[in-house]
Amino acid sequence: MENERFARMQKTTRLHLGMEATETLQRLTDFPDQPKAMDYFYDFFRRTFADGLTLPPRPAEQKVIGTMCLQVPDELIVAAGAKPLRLCSGAYAFDQVGAEMLPAKSCPLVRATTGMLHANHPDWGRELAAVVIPTTCDQKKKCGEMIATMPYPVYNLEMPSTKDSEASRLYWQESVKQFTLDLQGITGRKITARSLQAAITQGSAASALFRRLDDLRKSGGPVIFGKDIFLVTSGYFIDDPERWGNAVHHLITELEERKQAGLTVGNRAAPRLLLTGSPPIFPNLKVPILVEQSGGVIVADEVCSSNRLLSDGVAYDQVTLNDMVPAVADRALKPCTCPCLTPNHDRSRRLVELIRDRGIEGVVYQAFSGCLPYEMEQRQINTTLSGIGVPMLYLETDYSPEDQGQLATRIEAFIESIIARRRKK
Amino acid sequence: MNRFRDFINTIRISRLRFWTQIVAFLLLVYGGYLAVNIGNELPTFACVFTDQRGGSCYLMGFQHQMSLPWNRLFSGRGIGVVMGFLTFVGIFMLLNKAWCGFLCPLGTIQDWLTAARRKTGLMYATYGEGVFQRLSTIKYILLALLILLPMAIGNSFFGLPKLNHDFGVPFCMICPGRTLLPIFQGDLSQLAIDFSSTTKMVLTTLGLLVTGLFLAGAFYKKRFFCLFCPMSALHTIFHRAGLLRLTKNGTKCTRCGNCYRVCDVGIRAIADDLDHHNIVKDDCMMCFKCVEMCPEEGCLKITFLGLPIYQSTEKGFFTRMGRRTHGK
Ligand code: SF4
Ligand code: SF4
Ligand code: SF4
Repeated sequence: MENERFARMQKTTRLHLGMEATETLQRLTDFPDQPKAMDYFYDFFRRTFADGLTLPPRPAEQKVIGTMCLQVPDELIVAAGAKPLRLCSGAYAFDQVGAEMLPAKSCPLVRATTGMLHANHPDWGRELAAVVIPTTCDQKKKCGEMIATMPYPVYNLEMPSTKDSEASRLYWQESVKQFTLDLQGITGRKITARSLQAAITQGSAASALFRRLDDLRKSGGPVIFGKDIFLVTSGYFIDDPERWGNAVHHLITELEERKQAGLTVGNRAAPRLLLTGSPPIFPNLKVPILVEQSGGVIVADEVCSSNRLLSDGVAYDQVTLNDMVPAVADRALKPCTCPCLTPNHDRSRRLVELIRDRGIEGVVYQAFSGCLPYEMEQRQINTTLSGIGVPMLYLETDYSPEDQGQLATRIEAFIESIIARRRKK
Repeated sequence: MNRFRDFINTIRISRLRFWTQIVAFLLLVYGGYLAVNIGNELPTFACVFTDQRGGSCYLMGFQHQMSLPWNRLFSGRGIGVVMGFLTFVGIFMLLNKAWCGFLCPLGTIQDWLTAARRKTGLMYATYGEGVFQRLSTIKYILLALLILLPMAIGNSFFGLPKLNHDFGVPFCMICPGRTLLPIFQGDLSQLAIDFSSTTKMVLTTLGLLVTGLFLAGAFYKKRFFCLFCPMSALHTIFHRAGLLRLTKNGTKCTRCGNCYRVCDVGIRAIADDLDHHNIVKDDCMMCFKCVEMCPEEGCLKITFLGLPIYQSTEKGFFTRMGRRTHGK
């Protein structure tokens, strides 16, 4: 009976997921002048989401380790010969599964991720060698306990809730050192200075590529939409790093050519916007799509599924584990601007700098209803932004498609107001 | 021009530094053989006990001058003292703390010891924040002593008896430069204890101890000695006015801490100080490793007379880290 219900739920979830992905892709591609190289990413998601989220092909003996936040240093997992898989889900289909298990007011991202692990348990229960959850926000911590009972081998990576003191930095380094040791147990492979160096290089290469891509949005007419950037970085969660890297490389080449030729996507003089707040993750690209359908273009972002995920590079001083492991730990904690950290002045500073550097005219702040840290930090950010005279649109939203009409109206009005401001100047 | 800039910013300053240090070492320790003398008021340890050196450390002459009785110091002799001091300040300001990072023979020896440790795969030692703060005050005490002790030879403080002349150059007696640098010219004579008087015996014994500490310390802790160096304390008074500068644009800093991670001295403020433009800190040796390892465009810069020479760039950072993996 129980089994039958589960099988039915799994079947409908897969169906819904497929439809959701197809619809999102449909909307993503329904823009003029799309770069050709984006096709790789559209295809990738079409394939991956067609049947309940399939893990990309990999060598049979390679273990998969799920991570639930960018605080988990991927480099260590790669160095241990495993495939890191970022689990944070943006799927409404999974959100609905999770909603059965978690309080109604909880964060959709946490609900979707929990739901995904539940719905995929028959396969993933075997495939995931660990689910690593850093002790960031309360909801992730608590859903971890639930995920452990499904069961999955949950690993709680202890993380400080502040990063300014030297003590917090050392505490985090210790915790990452312990993680390094435990990972070797989980994967049965030794992490060596050489393997970690190679993994760091792989991570740096991805960051370097992302930065090149991101730099193309800095000035001039827009050559790529923000919605596509979020798709590319969502791909990084799952895809094989080498294939992903090649695809991004092609995309950069095409965009550079377009830039040379003076081609733009959308309106050359479209209002330049920045998106910050809760992370847009495929298929939940609702807000970016609406923004760009309404005539704005997202030329910068400050979210943990994009800019924050791929900007930083590890700096180590010598090729030994006792220097490189703390270096990797530093990379994950020190530049982080997650609102789970208190105080979080670095986030406002980053925003102000992005606004200055990229000629941003307005900020769209997306907060998932139920995600308290982002909801609470909104006021602070708003104050900072009014201080420098940049308007901010605060959107509280979730994964359901229902609020689209209402969101669209507000976004359109916001973009109108930015255009009106220009005329006044 | 932009291309040239790009190229400059992707080079590895550490490499340049490595070679400059070798050349400077040869020049300062062996220059005498080629009759080179680049000055007698050098803001670095070009040790006077090394016969064929290519220039001389200012501290020796400075201690001598301090031992003059005050009536002579404030008479005609004083002009020479002031001129010497001004020369010292001038030469220092030209290169600022880069004297430490690029030229000081003792600094170079410490870096070689670091390189040796690195080969063994041993981890370097670090200090906690509190310890660092406390230790870094020692150099000011040493500086005060190297002025006050000689002064007490020529003058009587508070009616106390004057010190004997064996205290003439007290810091030189304990400086590892005196014991180590002559060795490079085959002169081992400084490695002995001088029994001619109690003072000398105590000071030279101390000198040998410090030398031992210097060697062992620098092997485990990068730039171990520099934190205690009174020359560096003397620099501190002028480094803010140096012509060569390390500057930071705090708005671009993400506080990622890369700079702090690789800083051999362990200067935390390089990452966390967002307010100061001129960011050379007391213990900084201007090695510019931080600039090399900062991934943010134009966040850290080296400037000379306000003109940028080298700066942190995204591309530079990633290129350097990439090259490193390939052992280049
Ligand atoms: S601080 Fe170090 S490098 Fe500078 S003068 Fe002293 S010993 Fe030399
Ligand atoms: S490396 Fe650069 S961005 Fe990072 S903390 Fe240092 S100065 Fe700031
Ligand atoms: S702050 Fe920078 S220049 Fe100064 S010692 Fe540290 S790494 Fe070298």
